[in-house]
Amino acid sequence: MVRFSEVELEQPLPTIVAKVTQEMITKFACASLDFNPIHIDPVWAKKVNLLGYGKTIAHGQWTIDKLTQVITNWCYVDGGRLKSIDIKLIHPIFVGDTIKFMGKVVAKHPRKKDSFCEIELWAENQNGEKVAVGVAEVYLP
Amino acid sequence: MRIELSEEAKELVKKYLKTEKQKTYNYDFFIDEEKYIKWEDVDIGMEAWSERVFEVKAEDVEAYLEATENYNPIFRDEEFCKNTVWGKPIAPPMFLTTIAFWLVGDSFVGSWVKTPGAINPGQKIEFYEPIRVGDVIRAKMKAFDKYIKRGKRYLTYYVEYVNQKGDLVAKWWATLILPLTKSHEEHKIEGVWR
Repeated sequence: MVRFSEVELEQPLPTIVAKVTQEMITKFACASLDFNPIHIDPVWAKKVNLLGYGKTIAHGQWTIDKLTQVITNWCYVDGGRLKSIDIKLIHPIFVGDTIKFMGKVVAKHPRKKDSFCEIELWAENQNGEKVAVGVAEVYLP
Repeated sequence: MRIELSEEAKELVKKYLKTEKQKTYNYDFFIDEEKYIKWEDVDIGMEAWSERVFEVKAEDVEAYLEATENYNPIFRDEEFCKNTVWGKPIAPPMFLTTIAFWLVGDSFVGSWVKTPGAINPGQKIEFYEPIRVGDVIRAKMKAFDKYIKRGKRYLTYYVEYVNQKGDLVAKWWATLILPLTKSHEEHKIEGVWR
């Protein structure tokens, strides 16, 4: 059980790993309705030499979703709840990448009602490059 | 010359279109590109309610969970949820993305989010009332900030999402980097000018 009183600073949250394919990106496009050609059209991405790579990129919203899954997997069953997220996407994610989504507790804010903690969130690719960084505030029971 | 989505891209999209909303949504963002509001046309303070609403259906949430490989019972298992603080399933927090794209449609004030080549630099969101199947969500959008940093054009909208009861669902400071001009990306393609 995840409890505010028992959570410790620097405590890691369970990591999520995902492999990126064009199928996965297009599937997310359909589910999120974000059909930007930057994500779904390899032919166009090659033509415009997108970001100098000429390849489609995964949705930033997919990355943000996976980072929030680090939180929801960790504490939602026990009644934890996201208060806010502030995430920066700092490096593009391409087909073929394997991304790790991670989090750790960095602050605790005890309150009479609705105590919450701060979770540092980040994602990195197979080369150890950070692709996203941010922070989430999470209410814990 | 009009840029179109490639056949290869269309084929793959068609394979994964499942829900009613997905099937009626215009997935070729080049088609209405002329109608999208441009960075230079945005006046800070411009405000509007979404013309459309998002009726949350089970198939919408299911498709989102599948695409994000999310197997948490909190988001789908009625029985399981009875013994939790949630009582019944909720939509995952970032399902808000689907709602956002549905609500902007083709010509609404936030239509710039569909600009081909727009880049997502990161997002800030506050969550309030959870979203559930059966909810009807609408949004109030306000042009919040625009600026140029290292030669790139940033645009931020502040969006409040509310449900059918009038409860606040989320506040989202949505930022994108927009291409310099609409056809900026295409100018790089040799021989293609519009």
